[in-house]
Amino acid sequence: MVFPTIQFAVFFPIVLALSWALMARQHVWKPFMLAASYLFYSAASPKFCLLLAGVTLGNQAAAKLVHRTDDERRRRLIVGIAVALDLATLGVFKYYGFFAEEINAVLDEAGLGLPLPLAAIALPVGISFIVFQAISYTVDVHRRLLAPAPTIDVGLYLSFFPHLVAGPIVRAREFLPQLAGPRDPRKVAVGAGVALIVIGLVKKVAIADFLAREVVDPVFGVPQAYAAPDVALAAYAYAVQIFCDFSGYTDIAIGLALLMGYVFPQNFDRPYRAASFREFWRRWHMTLSRFLRDFLYIPLGGSRHGRLRQARNVMITMLLGGLWHGAAWGFVLWGAIHGGALVVENVFRGRISPPRWLKWLVVFHVVVLAWIPFRAPDLDLAGSFLARLVEPGPATLWSVPVVAVVVAVIGLQLLPARPMDALRVRFEGLHPAALGASMAAVIVLVAATVSSQGVPPFIYFQF
Amino acid sequence: MSATERDPFILDRPTGRRLRARDAIVCVFVAVVLLALLEGRSIRRSGERMEPGLQRTVVLAVGRPAGWLADRLPLADGVHRATGWLSPDEQLSGGPGAFRTPPAGVDAATARAGGTAPITSESFDPAALGERPERLAKLGTLLVTGDSLAQPLDVELARRLASQGVRTVRDAHLGTGISKSDLVDWGQLSALQARERRPDAVVMFLGANEGFPLPGTGGRQVQCCGPAWAAQYATRARRMMETYRRRGAARVYWLTLPLPRDAPRQRIARSVNAAIAVAAQPFRAHVRVLDTATLFTPGGRYRAAMPVGGRATIVRRPDGIHLNDAGSRVAADVVVARLRGDFDSLR
Repeated sequence: MVFPTIQFAVFFPIVLALSWALMARQHVWKPFMLAASYLFYSAASPKFCLLLAGVTLGNQAAAKLVHRTDDERRRRLIVGIAVALDLATLGVFKYYGFFAEEINAVLDEAGLGLPLPLAAIALPVGISFIVFQAISYTVDVHRRLLAPAPTIDVGLYLSFFPHLVAGPIVRAREFLPQLAGPRDPRKVAVGAGVALIVIGLVKKVAIADFLAREVVDPVFGVPQAYAAPDVALAAYAYAVQIFCDFSGYTDIAIGLALLMGYVFPQNFDRPYRAASFREFWRRWHMTLSRFLRDFLYIPLGGSRHGRLRQARNVMITMLLGGLWHGAAWGFVLWGAIHGGALVVENVFRGRISPPRWLKWLVVFHVVVLAWIPFRAPDLDLAGSFLARLVEPGPATLWSVPVVAVVVAVIGLQLLPARPMDALRVRFEGLHPAALGASMAAVIVLVAATVSSQGVPPFIYFQF
Repeated sequence: MSATERDPFILDRPTGRRLRARDAIVCVFVAVVLLALLEGRSIRRSGERMEPGLQRTVVLAVGRPAGWLADRLPLADGVHRATGWLSPDEQLSGGPGAFRTPPAGVDAATARAGGTAPITSESFDPAALGERPERLAKLGTLLVTGDSLAQPLDVELARRLASQGVRTVRDAHLGTGISKSDLVDWGQLSALQARERRPDAVVMFLGANEGFPLPGTGGRQVQCCGPAWAAQYATRARRMMETYRRRGAARVYWLTLPLPRDAPRQRIARSVNAAIAVAAQPFRAHVRVLDTATLFTPGGRYRAAMPVGGRATIVRRPDGIHLNDAGSRVAADVVVARLRGDFDSLR
């Protein structure tokens, strides 16, 4: 089920009202919320619910075993098996087809007629997010940062519908304590929740989908048909589209959770104002950065063993971070560009100090360039896209609304946060009925911009 | 130890004043009531367009009373007048050129018969008679259209032909069908496309959303997928072919449906494919039926992978309906080969 749809508009008010009505009776509320979340997930395909349940039960079994065991070697073995099974699940559903074709191509070249069997495997929605959260639970229990929670709590943690399909990646020790008792019905951040939902809808439907329709999809589909002005515009527009699409989803997810009394971590903090790559990754998809840092980069050794080892660890982390997005060389290249940039930045840190505006300019444009292989369907087309960046020709897609939206979204990130925050706080202070009316007004306006094709899925659904 | 203490930078506590849970429910229900009043008709229409199932039932349970209410209040019309300028779409259902409207100068009976006259030389593909086909000089504009099946075939064709000066117009209408006119009426849309784009060639790949009842003679609904339904479908398809071929000024390349994986959908696809073949008969000189059904599903058997360039390759998406990128490349090979046979500029 996608947030900006009629199905969800019917689903959510009913679930919200029942959730608060049942909140005090947790033994009823938890099965109810679990059922509602599975119903939400089954809208994509009921079969995927079995996978979700399997991941939940498997990790819960591992967490309980780890908790009961004192022998450190056994504990490590159990958690290793659990994480391996989680990653195998991800591997089968997300990467099998890609690697089977690549391996078959190599075998074919070598004249070895032993191809791997091919299968068109459906990718369960949100599988990457579900698996990462499951790993965070099991590993945190292993690290003794968390005691195993009741199975129904773990089921709820992994399936809670606001974050189920595209994050943010909520850590078990952030969410499970919130399930320990009923949420306080006298302290609900209604204004903040509504503000985030409204902002998220505008970002997704009015900005991201508009730019995709007008510029990004045409140019990235057939870059050969466009010259430098349009191709450059498409590159900037995609940077804005993916930010608005993904952060829009996150805003809605966090806002929905707030209305239900739960707090999710922040996932974006004006990433295009970053003046270093390190800063960019503290502002972009923050929950993924944090996951990769805590579960990959630091276990690999982090920055503890000299610059060379650190560079290796950064590259491994970023390459795997790229591959996490999907089975395509474009994602790997995207990770490599960011990893390489972080390594170069580490080398020069403290040696040169250019002005902040120059650093911003460089970082921003490397980020925009890195989005090209990320978005292009394959590396050949990414190459064509880059080649067309220097091809003189007419600007056929430049229009006032498109340019204004691109400039406004990037420009707003460069401004100080305080005036916008002040505006948001004033909005949050409105009477609940006024908040509801405002939300309806925005939905009506945003719905008017939707094409007959409906609202396209969020970009991160495919990851 | 709580997460807040361990990760101070990441867990953003919400700002603003805290209200009661009741206020959250009031807020959401005010929004829902207003939306029902202002968008009730849209909710009802969306429900009616959905595939049968629980989601449709639930949406219609809300949409029907909301639509009934919206019909009786002046609010919805006012809102649509005020926000209409924001819509990226043209009105594509029930207007001039729609299937329910006979073409100008044609009575309803003739229209139902597709405006066909006695058999003419246009019914024959010269190549099938061993004759040299009538070739067109230049492929300037290629329209690739249809439903979701047309993607990513449209992009693939656009890429291949861009270097030969062909302007490819990609105009896929997802979720639509010839037997499903409430969202997009293909009779109306084809007329609009032909008039505005004036394509030299049209590639049509449509049929993933068919199987809906069609109005038959006497106004009764004909259920899919027997001969009566196929006849009505063919009549509509023929009218579109007639529109697209622009009296011989353009060529039409209509792809048949590779059989889907699921048996109920296979039944629909077989009927659609039979109807396409019949629909094209009067216009064989200008309309090419490209048999992707046999190419991808030989012997009427579904397969996810097939040999491409001597190597087993997955050509279908996991949904068992659509072609994936590799499959679209195979389909594009077929289309481009036929285009080369018809246009001098592509030789």
